[in-house]
Amino acid sequence: MPEFKIQHITRYTYDGMVRDSANQIILFPIVDANQDVLKHDLTITGNPLVDTHIDYYGNEVGSFTYLEQHNRMVINSEVLVVTHAKELPSETTPAATQWQKLSALQNIVPYIDFLKHDYFDALPDLIAVIETEKQAEDTPYQTALRFCEYVYRNFEYLPGVTTVETTIDEVLQLKAGVCQDFAHLLVLMLRLLNIPARYISGYICPNHNGMRGEGATHAWAEVYLPDYGWLGIDPTNNCIANETHVRLAVGRNFSDCSPVKGVYKGSWGHKLEVKVSVEYKDQPTAIIDAEKLPSNSFIQATEAEEFSTNSYQRYKEAMLLQQQQQQQ
Amino acid sequence: MLSRVAASFYWLSRYIERSDGILRMMKINYNSSQDAVREFTWEPVIRIYSGVDQELMRTLDNDSRSVLTYMVNDKSNPNSIINMITLARENARSVQEHITRDLWQCLNEYYHCVKDDGLVPRLQNEDPITALDTLIRQIMLYYGTAEVTMERGQGRSFMNIGKYLERSIQAVDLLDVKFGSVTDNPDLLTDTTYWKHLLQSIGGYELYLKTYRDGIEAQSVMELIILNTDFPRSVIYSVNNIHRYYERLKNESNLSSYRDIAFQIGKLQSYIQYSSAESIRQIGLHKFLTQIKHDLFAIGISLNEHYFANS
Amino acid sequence: MYKSAHFSEYNAVNGVWDEMYSDNSSIRDHYQRVIEYLSKESTDNLNKKEDLARRLFMTQGITFTVYNSGEGIEKIFPFDIIPRIITASEWNFVEKGIKQRLTALNLFLKDVYHNQFIIKDGIVPIDVIYSCPHFLREMYQVDVPHDIYVHIAGIDLIRDEHGAFYVLEDNLRTPSGVSYMLENREITKRLFPDLLPQCNVRSVTEYPTILYKNLLALSPRQISNPTIVLLSPGIYNSAYFEHTTLARLMGVELVEGRDLVVNNHKVYMKTTTGLQQVDVIYRRVDDEYLDPLVFNPTSVLGVAGLMSAYRKGNVAIVNAIGNGVADDKAIYSYVPDMIKYYLNEEPLLKNVPTYQLRNADEREFTFANINSMVVKKTNGSGGYGMLMGHAADEQEIEDYKKEILKDPRNFIAQPTISLSAAPCYIQGMLQPRRIDLRPYALCGPDGIEIVPGGLTRVALKEGSLVVNSSQGGGSKDTWVLA
Repeated sequence: MPEFKIQHITRYTYDGMVRDSANQIILFPIVDANQDVLKHDLTITGNPLVDTHIDYYGNEVGSFTYLEQHNRMVINSEVLVVTHAKELPSETTPAATQWQKLSALQNIVPYIDFLKHDYFDALPDLIAVIETEKQAEDTPYQTALRFCEYVYRNFEYLPGVTTVETTIDEVLQLKAGVCQDFAHLLVLMLRLLNIPARYISGYICPNHNGMRGEGATHAWAEVYLPDYGWLGIDPTNNCIANETHVRLAVGRNFSDCSPVKGVYKGSWGHKLEVKVSVEYKDQPTAIIDAEKLPSNSFIQATEAEEFSTNSYQRYKEAMLLQQQQQQQ
Repeated sequence: MLSRVAASFYWLSRYIERSDGILRMMKINYNSSQDAVREFTWEPVIRIYSGVDQELMRTLDNDSRSVLTYMVNDKSNPNSIINMITLARENARSVQEHITRDLWQCLNEYYHCVKDDGLVPRLQNEDPITALDTLIRQIMLYYGTAEVTMERGQGRSFMNIGKYLERSIQAVDLLDVKFGSVTDNPDLLTDTTYWKHLLQSIGGYELYLKTYRDGIEAQSVMELIILNTDFPRSVIYSVNNIHRYYERLKNESNLSSYRDIAFQIGKLQSYIQYSSAESIRQIGLHKFLTQIKHDLFAIGISLNEHYFANS
Repeated sequence: MYKSAHFSEYNAVNGVWDEMYSDNSSIRDHYQRVIEYLSKESTDNLNKKEDLARRLFMTQGITFTVYNSGEGIEKIFPFDIIPRIITASEWNFVEKGIKQRLTALNLFLKDVYHNQFIIKDGIVPIDVIYSCPHFLREMYQVDVPHDIYVHIAGIDLIRDEHGAFYVLEDNLRTPSGVSYMLENREITKRLFPDLLPQCNVRSVTEYPTILYKNLLALSPRQISNPTIVLLSPGIYNSAYFEHTTLARLMGVELVEGRDLVVNNHKVYMKTTTGLQQVDVIYRRVDDEYLDPLVFNPTSVLGVAGLMSAYRKGNVAIVNAIGNGVADDKAIYSYVPDMIKYYLNEEPLLKNVPTYQLRNADEREFTFANINSMVVKKTNGSGGYGMLMGHAADEQEIEDYKKEILKDPRNFIAQPTISLSAAPCYIQGMLQPRRIDLRPYALCGPDGIEIVPGGLTRVALKEGSLVVNSSQGGGSKDTWVLA
């Protein structure tokens, strides 16, 4: 029954003063039989009123606004979570029966959402890969593990090589990416074989160091197995995501689960820094002051595109294009 | 009133006023270029509206027709008449339900006049003054229509604040550039044609003759353009009007914003009011003008923050 | 029978319902009086009237803007001076049919975003709904005031060769064109003085009043003077004229996204005297652009945080968010089933037969008969992205097939429908041209009201079946007789 104390800091630093910021956070760990939240402290610059609601996928989503001028915003989430390991599938049902059961889920909510995929150019290539990789006698569980390993072995873990906007086509071409890309890819491969698969965002909390995805938010996949339910698998680390993976949100893809997103006014670029640190029960605590953390202690850091000189023109162009949106 | 609507009124007027200033300046300068072939230079005019740009000066080559086309019809020139009227019209369009139909039609006509295919050939091959006069008349028609038809509410106050802010900035720029040239060429100080020309470009020649009986002197020209309360294009006249129309915006619900800007305007007004030709000379004209310009810009920035929601 | 110079050439199109002529080439009763009036006018006079109409549109600025290489060109929506006339009994039927359809569509939207009974009972296939890009999961379990989703609907109707009314499209998101209904009537008043009362034509002027009353009733704050705004994409939008017209006629503020801001889940507009809370938003901005935080993040037309204010019931949005799932062209074929399912009634208005290209057999059938089909994008509008099978060449058809196969869900096909024809004044003569009809239905807490009239669009090109303004269409005043 592991107990984790997780501190997740998100820090936006703007090049100048911005205002009218509206934000959405999905930072509330899921509460169910395998995971419980003992304590959650959330502090945000300006102490805005955070309103929460449960979204379509059952995630708790917070939203808040911050109108006054500001040049930085820090979201500090400290949470005490206890997890319980989930027993792994015993696989007593014959493979053929399992596949049959899965095919009956196609047009059932919620599975329907976790079986769909959009068209993309490399679809035929990916289908070919799936055809080679899958083994006729495998159960869905075995297939999931096999594909997980495929992603792990064939794609290089290269932080920074992709962004949240990278497409599946690009990932397939790069043969590299980060946890988010791997989760997307695995989810897609499983869906193409009619195994419901969903995207999970959360934290990885191993009790030894060296797992990929530490220090930042993590992402992996969950597959739906007949007579069992949802099982987490982590293609970034080629392992089952069990009691060391703390789940924040589920969805079809990253954009359903994006831990923090926001919109602001002001023609300035920004820097986003994220740091996640995990401590274990009975370890001495050393809570970090989120406001004062030096930049180099963040793992994920992205610079927004340089807006400076032409941001007005870009705004005008977007305005012109969008205002001409079609009318019914 | 919506902040964006107020901002549109304000910018609509600033663009119209700027186009008016440019057209009048073009007209007089063209006229002068016909009097003094050799010494005449378009450099100060270009400097006022396009900044110091050697490359541009080379391209235009001090050729009157090129300068006219550049100032009136060149889309790459942010302050060309065509760009001014397009921006003015877009601002008006977005507040169409707040301005009278008459006023909208005036603007539309001005716009179509500038867009007229015949305009550039006329500027290049015929008498440019006739062409410029057609446009100037459109603006006078616009001002008359605004005066007669616009409701006496907040909208009109923002329009007039924009108009007079723009006008005072132009007067300051003109003085600064013209007197700046004197530093490089002290002979100009006693060159009456030079000062006559300056007075004409700002429309103050006749008033000057009536006010000062002992001929044209630089000191008096400066005094007229900065301090004469009866001269509709003087700095003090414009600032007095900014003050006048701003006072009408006083409203219970935003007193602190109101006081903030009222203070800025009042301070600027007193600063100019309690100056004299002599005190300005002591401070140094350039320094004095720089201060005024700084204060005018600050008022613009404050308006944007407190009334236009930074739109 | 009246035969004056401009009538002599009128040749009704074979096999097409003519609004003016009956089968035996006699003028239908409801057109008699107008024809009598027109017969007395010389061609010269009618030409003058046509000219007057054009001038009135131009000077009053009743224009839409077409953008070409960044430069806006203002155009008028071509107007045909001869009114389209609908009898009282025809209107009665249309009105009942639309009310029935709209009632069912509203129930469908409430259901699909809450209990999903209709899915569980297998009336509408689940995958059609779940694959619809306009089925917004963000709207799931969101309650809207009075359970009204479609406050304003523009239902496009056409008539087959027997005069039967068919629904071609339901427009339930941001239907446009109502200002032309109002302006066309104003112009007709000027063109044909006294003719309207002589013919007992019902008035359409109540439209803005009813709409305003309905908007007022949606205010979440029970205060005497709630703030209602019309949210427009801005001056570059082709329907900007309509936005200003409606704002003016209702006396509400016309705003753009940048005028609004959300603070603590309430919407405010930025005024010169500070923030003022907004209660009802009549938006003419599509869902996708409405809230950059939740939908398209690059949108500069929307208001960040709007969805959260809406979810909490602090602001009413008209039409509701997520309506696109009900007017998607793939869902369209199930509307008659919805009517039976929710209302236990037989549908009054017919549906055009529709083939779902996501189904392999229907796709094959469509491909085999492509020359007599119209293929449309399920989420398209304005006549864009259509394939008119009878008019397309082989290459166009092949290219279009490729597009279809990429994602067949996004396409449907319908047999080419022969629209009815009405007399138009073209080059000094009366000539038949194809028309449709878009009545505007307003749904408020007191029920559905339809202003007697609508926008009759006309394909001005001879033989053309496309009435969209973007494709050479024009419009007519639409008379409903008392």
